[in-house]
Amino acid sequence: MASGEEAESRIHTAAETAAAQLNALAARLCELNRPGDAEILEAQALMAVDPAIIDEAARRAREGVDPGVAIVDAAEVSAVLLAGIEDDLLAARAADLRDVAARIVRVLNGTHLHLPAAPSIVIADDFPPSLLAEMPRGVLLGLALAGGSPTAHVAILARSLGIPAVVAARGLLDAVRGAATVAVDGESGEVVADPEIAELQVLADRQAVRGERDRAASARRGRPAATSDGKRISLLANIRSPDEAPRALEAGAEGVGLYRTEFLFLRRQSAPSEEEQMGAYRRAMEAFGPDRPVVIRLADIGGDKSIPYLGRPEEPNPFLGVRAIRLGHESRDLLLTQLRAIWRAAGLAGVTPHVMAAMVATIADACLLLDLRDEARAQVCAAGQPCPERMVTGVMIEVPSAAIMAPELARMVDFFSIGTNDLTQYVLAADRGNPSLVRFQDALHPAVLRTVAAVIAAANAAGIPVAVCGELAGDPAGAMVLAGLGVGELSAEAGSLDGVRAALAGVSAAQLDALAAESLAATDAETVRAAANELLGARR
Amino acid sequence: MRSIELEVRTQGGLHARPAAAFVRAATGFRSAIRLENVTLGRPSADALSIVGVLSAGVERGHRVRIVADGVDEEGAIEALGELLAGPGQVGGE
Repeated sequence: MASGEEAESRIHTAAETAAAQLNALAARLCELNRPGDAEILEAQALMAVDPAIIDEAARRAREGVDPGVAIVDAAEVSAVLLAGIEDDLLAARAADLRDVAARIVRVLNGTHLHLPAAPSIVIADDFPPSLLAEMPRGVLLGLALAGGSPTAHVAILARSLGIPAVVAARGLLDAVRGAATVAVDGESGEVVADPEIAELQVLADRQAVRGERDRAASARRGRPAATSDGKRISLLANIRSPDEAPRALEAGAEGVGLYRTEFLFLRRQSAPSEEEQMGAYRRAMEAFGPDRPVVIRLADIGGDKSIPYLGRPEEPNPFLGVRAIRLGHESRDLLLTQLRAIWRAAGLAGVTPHVMAAMVATIADACLLLDLRDEARAQVCAAGQPCPERMVTGVMIEVPSAAIMAPELARMVDFFSIGTNDLTQYVLAADRGNPSLVRFQDALHPAVLRTVAAVIAAANAAGIPVAVCGELAGDPAGAMVLAGLGVGELSAEAGSLDGVRAALAGVSAAQLDALAAESLAATDAETVRAAANELLGARR
Repeated sequence: MRSIELEVRTQGGLHARPAAAFVRAATGFRSAIRLENVTLGRPSADALSIVGVLSAGVERGHRVRIVADGVDEEGAIEALGELLAGPGQVGGE
């Protein structure tokens, strides 16, 4: 039948054209130095010419179905297939595939979406990423969607193109209906309909401040953190879940210095299974790859984070109670299960695992950690599962007795990680949660800093690295003091890495040494903070 | 017809980027090529279909079978095998 064959050939031509469009958009993103985002569109280009879809659409067209309908129906069969697989990434691919089908139909019908030509803010229920890439730069001023999620491709793409975007704003369409002007603040998540002049001024001021900040920070991002004269400091991120990995990588983290696994254990009726834990650890390890370590902290539970399924009595002094590695005696299986999950995850991800334990107070605690580690590996190997040769094993230094015994501990483990929040509360004997004692809560107190200096000296003598993963590491003034004391790795929330990187880049190693000397000689935290802030201010 | 069974060593299995790279590589051969996830026991997929390759749900550590049939089947097996298992891991079958 001539018409059937003609329809079939039109489908093939339209599919090729759509693929070419998507490849051109991908090339544009590559030019903008966005290879990661380009991949989304390159995969879509392959979908446009996927024989499973196009052959099925052609078959339907030969039977007399309208070519456009045939494409949409054939794509839907595959989209349902993808969406049915239990995997968030593949579910997102189903949305990408429907977007591709719509594009082929537009080519077939010779229609164009009415994309705005003048600078505009787009308000919509949802918006496919390929359309976002298609809009000329400068035309799309902002994006506000009622649907979507922060991890949807369109949100990721908007972020990387620097387009202010608000997603998942329920009720958005009703709220802005009839408005003559709309303002979008992608950072605060605000959408303002018909803003007053004063409101506009506030938004414009914010935009100017952030633009300046982002230009300064992004100029350094991707480059390793270093002082003005080239002394390297590694910056890593603290995470609670593998979902935070993209944000950490985007912020230029060289790995994870603290993966707080306790969030897997909280708010539930029974302990997470080995499989569930393995899945989470593996995702984190694969997100960072073999060259960026992910330091997994064994669950720091007990204490103030009490867990019903551990069956432990309530303690009058939870911060001085059975928590973290201390659970290794009463709840040995809990830690063994976690360690097996880590060994197995690393085996599947093809990386060397990094692990540390909190609340280590004695040599016996460190021995317990090493024993549990080796016992877990033997169990994994006995079960015939792939398992790495070694696990880089460290202890957190946050209990004064561990700091005092640091020379001996340093010869047993591969690294130290100092938790400044708990170290401060234990050195100064002041409950972190007691509002009457906040004056004791400054990790810049010389007693804490002298302890840190002694721990660094012990680590240097044994040739092991020292990291700091407390809040002090993410504070620009604190980071300068720590770097001056000789800490080689700072791990903090991803959002604070830019500020720390900028602070370190503005000073020389000699200035940091002088700051450290002054800090160690001080007798109170205020003096240390003033000295650090003076140096911080001087470089601006 | 030639085939090979191997363990996938690609970072992240055959999701997203590696899947696209696999399909693009397969496009370069004239042989008919199919991919089967042996570990999950799913039916084999056309190596030219990105949806088929993604749906195979191949994770790192899974065993897969690649079957090629055509004039350049030998080269196809070697190239695609190396893509999934890493260089030097493909001995044929």
